[in-house]
Amino acid sequence: MIPAISVAGLTRRYRDHVALDQVSLEVEAGSIVGLLGRNGAGKTTLLRILTGQEFPSSGAVLVHGARPTENAAVLRRMVFVREDQTYPDFKVRHALLVASWFYPHWNAELADALLADFGLPAGRAVKKLSRGMRSALGIVIGLAARAEVTIFDEPYAGLDAVARQIFYDRLLADYAEQPRTILLSTHLIDEAAGLLERVIVMDRGRIVLTADADDLRGVATAVSGPVLAVDEFTAGRVVWDRRRVASRVSVVVVGGLDEADRLRAGSLHLDLTPLTLQQLVVQAATQPADAFERTSA
Amino acid sequence: MRTWRDVARYHLVVPWAPLLIPWAILTCSFVINLVIFALAPTHHHNVMTSHGLVSVADATGGYTGGVASIYVLFLVIGASIIGRSLPFALALGVSRRSYYAGSAALGAAMAVADGLVLAALQAVERSTDGWGVHMHFFQVPYVLAGPWYLTWLTSSVALALLFVYGMWFGIVYRRWNLIGAAAFTVAQLTLVLAAVLLVASTNAWSGVGHFFTGLTAAGLTGLLAGMAALLLAGGHATIRRATV
Repeated sequence: MIPAISVAGLTRRYRDHVALDQVSLEVEAGSIVGLLGRNGAGKTTLLRILTGQEFPSSGAVLVHGARPTENAAVLRRMVFVREDQTYPDFKVRHALLVASWFYPHWNAELADALLADFGLPAGRAVKKLSRGMRSALGIVIGLAARAEVTIFDEPYAGLDAVARQIFYDRLLADYAEQPRTILLSTHLIDEAAGLLERVIVMDRGRIVLTADADDLRGVATAVSGPVLAVDEFTAGRVVWDRRRVASRVSVVVVGGLDEADRLRAGSLHLDLTPLTLQQLVVQAATQPADAFERTSA
Repeated sequence: MRTWRDVARYHLVVPWAPLLIPWAILTCSFVINLVIFALAPTHHHNVMTSHGLVSVADATGGYTGGVASIYVLFLVIGASIIGRSLPFALALGVSRRSYYAGSAALGAAMAVADGLVLAALQAVERSTDGWGVHMHFFQVPYVLAGPWYLTWLTSSVALALLFVYGMWFGIVYRRWNLIGAAAFTVAQLTLVLAAVLLVASTNAWSGVGHFFTGLTAAGLTGLLAGMAALLLAGGHATIRRATV
């Protein structure tokens, strides 16, 4: 099966820095994938290249098996919701009307329902919307478009927790009704973790981790307790992070723990806490680039 | 083609703004000129006849050049719609090529429609002896002085030319901001200067003069159409490199 998105050796160089450095990845059709990483990791540049808004310096990008750049047949199957989207001087309802013309599967009912959910006034000029309302507009367009490849880049800047929950719920409900490929870049990792099937973690222009979200649960564990006991337990294991407070220490151990490990930890009076996805991403982004490769070896 | 049409509709989604603004400005210009012509004494000159010296109203009337405002507005609209609406169009999966073609098609359709209206207004002006005050607003000597269909053709081509020229400016501004637009202007002036120097150095001024004096209004229209095609190609080459 042709992957929805396939990127090989993608590099984007700007005058004084490399935004993307030999990025390769694949996204299966019909999945929700999280693109995670710090500010400046290269997420937006990658998404702009995928949607043909920016051009690669080198490397190959394929969407549904074809190059997206200036390829109308591919582009019309995609929608790109950006945090910093600029709109012409018009009203919310104009933005929705225009979007509906370009998407054959546009769902007007969903758009109306979302407008009501977010309390977004259709008659308000887009430039007079607050930051959160502007984000909500992008989300309405992104979901109602029902494009085969739907890309959200930090879609909820300025949105409150209730509105974000509406976004997650609506996204999942509509995804169940009409499966498509959804690529979502976000900082709010733990919040979005529940809906992600796969995660791609970027750092400084490179992909540092690609994994199924399920596989990542329990891949790393924080072990804390008295220094000597922790040292005894972690001897011979891959250890990432070590924090010492007085006579206690907390260490991140990489690799799954089996039942024997747990019993041993219990007898040593150690606390075991699995790392959340967010903590894992923080670790991934602060480790040397090959940290994950070493753990899987 | 469907996408072209949708791009054109996209520019017009705020009802009629690009369609009506040129006419609003032109109407203002027209009314001001009309008031001036109504208040100012008619152009008279004295003619010696067999009955002695008589005062005769100047048959040529006064030219205002006021119709130029609509051409300027086409330039402005071409420049303003293209850059402002590009990022959202690309977000909706429209290719630059379709976006550019749809925008240019809108400009061409507006030019043809408005050119026809200008030709009609010129006919009214002729049949009412310059709106009753000998005002030549829609008539321009040499350029817009022929039959109605030639006025239509020349107006349409000139309007389309300015729209396309405006679009190119708009794209350059969108991509490279003020510095880019300034560099673009300097490059064009350099080109004109080079042409002038070339003509001067080869002592070809009389040839150039002959070329333009020998040019008919129809020939001029052809020349404008050729320039419009060049500008259209230039704008296309530029938008292909534009990023948002």
